[in-house]
Amino acid sequence: MSYFFQIVVSGIVVGSIYALAALGLVLVYKSSRVANFAHGQIIAAGAFITYYLSVSLGVPIFFSFLASMIITFFLAMSVERIFLRKLIGEPIISVIMVTIGLGSILDGLIYLTPFGSENFSFPAFLPQEPLSLGGVSISWTQLVGVIVTFILIGGLSWFFKKSTIGISMRAVSDDQFASMSVGISVPKVFGLAWALAGLSAAAAGCIIGNITGLNFDTLHAFGIIVFPVIILGGLDSILGAVVAGIIIGLIQQFSSGYLDGNFGLKGTGDVMPYIILVVVLFFKPHGLFGIHEIERV
Amino acid sequence: MSANSWLATGNFFTTYKQEQRTFLTSLDRSFFTLFLVILFGWPLLFELGNKNMLVIDNILIAIVAVMGLNLVTGFAGLISIGHAAFVGIGAYTVASFCRTMGDSHIIITHFWPVLIVVSGLVGAVFGAIVGLPALRLKHLYLAIATLSFQMIFEWTIQFMTFFNQGQTIYVGRVFWFTGKVGRKDHYLFWYFIILTIVILLGFGIRNLLKTRYGRSLVAVRDNDRAADAMGMNPGLTKVYAFALAGFFAGVAGALHAYVYRGVGFESFTLHESIGYLAMAIVGGLGTLNGSFWGPVAIKFLDLQVETLAEIAGKYLPSSMNLATALKPFTFGLVIVLFLMFEPRGIANWWRITKSYTKLWPFRY
Repeated sequence: MSYFFQIVVSGIVVGSIYALAALGLVLVYKSSRVANFAHGQIIAAGAFITYYLSVSLGVPIFFSFLASMIITFFLAMSVERIFLRKLIGEPIISVIMVTIGLGSILDGLIYLTPFGSENFSFPAFLPQEPLSLGGVSISWTQLVGVIVTFILIGGLSWFFKKSTIGISMRAVSDDQFASMSVGISVPKVFGLAWALAGLSAAAAGCIIGNITGLNFDTLHAFGIIVFPVIILGGLDSILGAVVAGIIIGLIQQFSSGYLDGNFGLKGTGDVMPYIILVVVLFFKPHGLFGIHEIERV
Repeated sequence: MSANSWLATGNFFTTYKQEQRTFLTSLDRSFFTLFLVILFGWPLLFELGNKNMLVIDNILIAIVAVMGLNLVTGFAGLISIGHAAFVGIGAYTVASFCRTMGDSHIIITHFWPVLIVVSGLVGAVFGAIVGLPALRLKHLYLAIATLSFQMIFEWTIQFMTFFNQGQTIYVGRVFWFTGKVGRKDHYLFWYFIILTIVILLGFGIRNLLKTRYGRSLVAVRDNDRAADAMGMNPGLTKVYAFALAGFFAGVAGALHAYVYRGVGFESFTLHESIGYLAMAIVGGLGTLNGSFWGPVAIKFLDLQVETLAEIAGKYLPSSMNLATALKPFTFGLVIVLFLMFEPRGIANWWRITKSYTKLWPFRY
C-alpha cells in the first residue's frame, strides 16, 4: 500500500509542476487566444538564469529566484511587444508558427551557452534526508517546490479576482470590444499576460531544475507536455490547469508505476498524456472547466 | 488570344474549358517542356558526386511531402503538426515489408513502384483516421490533435521491437531494367525517379484544384458553413484533405526509405514536422508553386548555415558549438521574419515578378 501512496505523492509533485507550467499558457491563451509553443524555452531560460545568478555570480538562491522571475517577466513582455503584437488578427497558423519560430530562436541562443549541451544541478540548500511519513517519503526539494507552486498559483488567482489590473485582464478575455469601450488598453493587457506567463515559467523552471537537475532537453519538453494539461483543463481556466495538471501528473506516475514492466510495456508515462489528450478531444473538447465554444460543422 | 501568361494583360477566356487548360498557349507548353528537358538533362552533363545528389534528392522528397502538407494546411486550412509522422508511416510501411520478408526480397527490390503506391495508400488511411477529429475540432484544437498523433507515433516506433525500436532498418538496393542499381548511380537513379514523381503529383494537384474536389477544399477553408449551404460535405472534405496529405506523405516516406536505404526514427520527429510546416509557410501556403520554393529555400539555407558555422568554428573556441546553435536560430528567424513581413511566402515574389513583366516598361 505504501507503494500506492508513494506514487500518489510523486504524482501530486509532478502534477503541481505541470499546473504551474500550464498556468503560463492558460494566461496567454485566456487574454489573447494565442497558443504559445515557445513556453518550454522560456521555462528553460528562467531556470538557467537562476542558476547563472546563484552559482556563477554568487547571489543568494532566494534573490536569484526572484531576479530570474523579473527578468523573464520583461523578456516575455518584450517578445509580445516585438513579435506578437504585429500579428494580432492574423490567422491562427501564423500565430502558432511565430511562437514555434521564437522557440527555435531561443533554442539557438541557449545552445550558444554551455547550458545547451551540459547538465547542471542546483547546489543543495535544503536538508538532504527525505521526509518520511508512514513509509511514504518525499524529499524537501519536492515539498518546498509544491508549496511554492501553490503559493504562486494562489497569488495569481488572488491577483485575477481582486486587483484592478487582474479584473481588466478578465474583462479583456471576456469581450475585447466591450473592455476597449470602458477604457482598458487591450494591447497592454496582452503584454501583461505574456509577462505573467514568463514569470510563472521562470518559477516552474526553477522548481523543475531543483527537483530533476538542469538539462535543456527535459526542461523544454515541458513546453509540449503542458498541452494535454491545458486541453484537459479547458484552455482558459486557471482552476482547470491546476486540476488537470495534477490529474495528468497522477496518471503519468500511475502508468509508469503499474503499467511499465507488465504486459511488456515500457515508457508508458511519456505517451499516456497524449492518449488522454486524444480521448478528451474526441469526447469533451472543451475540457473539464473550459467554455463551451466548439462549433460543429 | 494573347501571346503567353507572362505578357497577357488580362484574361480573354470565352469558355470554361479554355480556363481549365494546363498551358494557355503553345509557347507556354514549349517553355515548360524545355524546363523539364533541362531538369532531366543536367545531371547527365555535370558530374556532381553522391554527396550533392543526396542533397538534391532530399529536397525533392521534401517537395513531395510539402505538396501534401500544402493541400491540408494551405488549401483546406487545417493545421497539421504531425506531418512527419505521416511521412514516417510511409517509410515504416516499406520497413515492415523489409522486416517480414528480409530486406532484399523480390517485392522490395523489383516491385518498388508498387510498394511506393502502397505506402502512399497506407499513409492515406492513417491520414483519414487522424483527420477524424477534424469532424468536430477546429483551429488550435485540431493542431493539438495532430500534435498528439505525432507524439503517439514516436512512442509506438520506439516501443515496438517489430520496428527495431527506432534503430535503423535496412532496405535493399533496387533493380531497374538495366540490372541492380549500384552504389555509384544510386542517388542519380533516384533523382530521376523522384523528379518524375514530383512532376506527376504536381500535375495531379494542378488538375485536382480545377475540379470540384479541389475547389471544395478551398471552399471549406474559406467558410465551411457557406460550403455546407452550397451542398458540399465539410466534414467529409476535411477527412479527405487529411487522407490526400497522408498519401503524399506516405509516398515521400517510401522514397525516403529507398533513397537512404534505411529507416530510422530520428527522421520523423516533431522537429521534422515543424520543418515541413516552415517549408510550406516560407514557400507560400495555398499555392502550388510555393510547395517547390519552400523546401528549396529551407534546405539551401540549412546548407549555407552549415558552411558558415564550419568557417566560423575555426576562429572560435571549441567550447562553443556554433553549428548546433546557428541552425535553430536561423531557422526560427526565417520563419518569424517571413510571417511578419511576407506572410504569403516566396510564391508571392513569383507572382509580383510575373505581373511586373506584363506591364514593363510601364508602371501600371
